[in-house]
Amino acid sequence: MQRRFLVLALAALACACSKKKEEPSSGPAPTPAATAQAAEKAPNAVGLVIDVGGRGDHSFNDAALRGLELWASGKRYEGGRYVDASAQELRESISSDLASIAPSLKPLAVKPLVLQSKAQEDYAPNLQLLVEQGAQLTIGNGYMLANAVRDVATENPKSLFLLIDSQVLDAQGKARQLPNVRTILFKEQEGSFLVGALAGLVTKTGKVGFVGGIEVPLIKRFETGYRAGVMTTNPKAAATLMGVYTGSFNSVAAGKQVAQDLIAKGADVVFHAAGADGLGVIQAVKEARAAGKSVYAIGVDSDQSHLAPEAILTSMVKHTDLAVYQASRDLLDGKLVAGEQVLGLKESGVGMADVRVDFPGKAEALQKVEALRQRIVAGQLSVPGTQAELASFQAATP
Amino acid sequence: MGERARQALPSVLSVLLALVLCWIAIAMTRDVDTATRAYLQMFWGGVGNWPAFLDGGPVSALTRPLGEAAMKAALLTLTGLSVAVAFKVGLFNIGAQGQMILGALAAAVVGAQLNVPAVLHIPAALAAAALAGGTWSGIAAALRIRRGVHEVISTIMLNWVAVSLVDNWLVIGPLKAVAQGQQSSITGTAEILSSAQLPRLLGDLSRLNLGFPLALAAAVGVDLWLKRLRVGFETRAVGLGPEAARTAGVPVAWRTGQAMVLAGAMAGLAGAVLVLGTEGRYPGTLGAPYGFDGIAIALIGNNNPLGLTVAALVFGVLRAGGTRMQLLGVHKSFPELIQGLALLFVAGRLIWLAVLRRRTRPSVAPAAPVVEVPRA
Repeated sequence: MQRRFLVLALAALACACSKKKEEPSSGPAPTPAATAQAAEKAPNAVGLVIDVGGRGDHSFNDAALRGLELWASGKRYEGGRYVDASAQELRESISSDLASIAPSLKPLAVKPLVLQSKAQEDYAPNLQLLVEQGAQLTIGNGYMLANAVRDVATENPKSLFLLIDSQVLDAQGKARQLPNVRTILFKEQEGSFLVGALAGLVTKTGKVGFVGGIEVPLIKRFETGYRAGVMTTNPKAAATLMGVYTGSFNSVAAGKQVAQDLIAKGADVVFHAAGADGLGVIQAVKEARAAGKSVYAIGVDSDQSHLAPEAILTSMVKHTDLAVYQASRDLLDGKLVAGEQVLGLKESGVGMADVRVDFPGKAEALQKVEALRQRIVAGQLSVPGTQAELASFQAATP
Repeated sequence: MGERARQALPSVLSVLLALVLCWIAIAMTRDVDTATRAYLQMFWGGVGNWPAFLDGGPVSALTRPLGEAAMKAALLTLTGLSVAVAFKVGLFNIGAQGQMILGALAAAVVGAQLNVPAVLHIPAALAAAALAGGTWSGIAAALRIRRGVHEVISTIMLNWVAVSLVDNWLVIGPLKAVAQGQQSSITGTAEILSSAQLPRLLGDLSRLNLGFPLALAAAVGVDLWLKRLRVGFETRAVGLGPEAARTAGVPVAWRTGQAMVLAGAMAGLAGAVLVLGTEGRYPGTLGAPYGFDGIAIALIGNNNPLGLTVAALVFGVLRAGGTRMQLLGVHKSFPELIQGLALLFVAGRLIWLAVLRRRTRPSVAPAAPVVEVPRA
C-alpha cells in the first residue's frame, strides 16, 4: 500500500512541478552578485521586488529590470552575477522613442538589489528584506504589490518607495498618499491608441481583435485606447472589434486559445495586454502565419518584436524602465519626492515601438500615426481611458 | 534505538542528504564560498538573524524571519495533515490544493461580508473554510464510496474545477472587489474586515499570527483522534485493510467519508489561515501550490501528524529563508529543490531501512522488515 502511494505521490508531484516549469518565470537566477555585506554598506542601493511573473517575462518585469540593472547601474545580469554592460548594449536596449530623451540615459552609481517573489504572500517580506539590506529606494513592480508597499512603507517611514501601476489604496480601495511613496500610473490608452490606429490601417479583413488579461481598470485602459485608435483610422473595423479577456496573466494556453478563436473569426491584427497569456497570443499568430494566413500580433509593455520578428507588427511600449531609471536618478540627486505621477505619451511614459515588418502602404500609415501622436502630445487630442470617455469620444468622432 | 526514532531516521537523513546535494549544486555552479554564505543566509532568514541581533540590531531581526517561517510552516502543516488523514484511511488526497482554494474563498467571503465581533467572526470564517474544503473533498469521497471512482482521479479533476470555478469565475465575476477610484486596479475579492483578521501575536514585530498555534493544535488534535479515539482507531483499521475492518464490524464507507471530509477541512483551514492571516482577501489567483507541497510534507513526515509538523517546520524555515539566497545571486527555486530531493530520498525509505539495519542491528531476524515498513 505504502509503495503504491509513493509511486502516485511522485507522479503527482511530477505533474505539479512540470506545470510550474511552464510559467514564463524560469529565467535564470536572480539578484546581485553583490554580497550581502557589500549591499549593507552600499551607499545607493535601490531595491526592486518583481511579482510572481519573474525574470524573463519579455514584458512587464523585464522592463523594470532593464531600467534598474542596465540603465541605472550599467550592469547586465548573467548567471547570478552582474557584469558591466557595454555602451553598445546599453544603446541597443533603449527603444527608439526614447533615443532623443533629455537628459540622456547614463549609468548612475546605483547598486541593484532584486528579489523575485514566489507567492503573493511574499511581497511584503521581500520589500521589508530589501529595506533591511540597506536599499534607500525600494520599488514594487505592479499593482499586485500595492498593499504590500502600503504596509511596508508605513512601517518604515524613513525609507523611500516607488509603486508602479497603482496608487496607494486603503482597505476600502480608496486612493491615499503616503509621505514616502511615489506612485506611477501610465496613460496606457495613449500608446494603445497609436497601435490601434496602425491596426486600423493595416487590417485587410477589416476585423481586429484585443486580448486582455484580468479585467481591471488598468487593462481596460488598453482596450479603450485601442478601440479609439481603430475608430479614428477605420470606423468599420472599430464597429466589429472583438475584445476578449482571459482572466489571468500567467496562462500561455488560455491566451493562445482565445487568439486562435479570434483569428478563426477573421481578425488579422490582434493586440494583447495579458502578460504571459499574451505569449500565447503571439504563438497563435505565429502558427496562423505558418498556415498561410496574413495576421499580425501587437506586443505590449516591452518591444516584443524579438519573440516573433515576422508576426509582431509593433508593440505598445510602457516605459516602466524609464520610470525606474528616473526614480533612481532623483534619489541620487536628492530630488525624489513622494506623490502621484501619471506618465503619458508626452512624458515618454508610453509609446509605440519601431515597426519592423513590411506591408503595403507602410510609409503613409506610419505618417498618419505620427501625425496622431503629435496631436496627442500637443494636447489637441484626448484619448479615452474609460468606457464612459470612449462613448463620448465615439460621439465626437464623425 | 527506539521504534519512533528509527521511523524518523530515514526522513532526517533524506533531508540532510538533500541539503548536502543542493549545497554541492550551488558550489559547482558558483563557488564554495557562495554556497556556504547562501546557506547561512537561508538559515538566518528562517530562524532569525542572530548575528545582526547580537550586533545590536533590533529585535525584529529575529522576529520577522521567525514569523515568516512560522507562517509557511502553518500552511504546510495543515495541507500536510490533509494528505496524511486521507492516507490513514487508505486514500490518496491529491486534491488538497483545490480544497484549500475553496476554503480560502469561503474565509474571504465570510471575512468580508459578516459583520460581527472578532470573537465570533474568526471562528465563523474558519468554520466556513473548513466546511467548504470538507464539502469539496466530500464530493470525491461520495464518488469513491457510491461509484468506486478512484480518488486520485476525482481529486485531481476537482482541483481544476476549483481553479476554474473560483479563479476564473467567482473572483473575477460575482465576488470581485469593487474599486472605488477609477484608476485603481484591484484583483480578488473585497478586503476582509479587521474583525476577521487573525490577531498578530507579536504586534508590529512580525507577521506571526494565530494561524501558527492553530495549525499546531490541529496537528495535536488529529494525532489524538487517530491514536486515542475509537473512531480514529477504526479509521486506521480501514486504511490497513478494509475487508478485515468490515469483518470486524467497522462501518468502512462511513469512516472513509469521515476521514476524507476531515482531510478537506484541514486543507480548507490552510486557505483560511492564508487569507485571514496575511492576504486579507482572496487574491486574483492562489498561486503558491501549498496543497501539492502538503503531499511532500506528509510523506517526509511519514504520515504521522507530529512527524509532518516537524517536517513542515523545517521546510517553513527553508522556504522563508530561501528568498535571501537571491541576495547572493542563487536561484530562487533552491528551497523547492531541497524539498523535492528530500521527497525523492524518502521514497527510497526501504533502502534507508535496509542500510540502517545492516549498520546498526546486524543480527536482526529476517521477519523484522514487516514490522518496520511504515504503514499507510
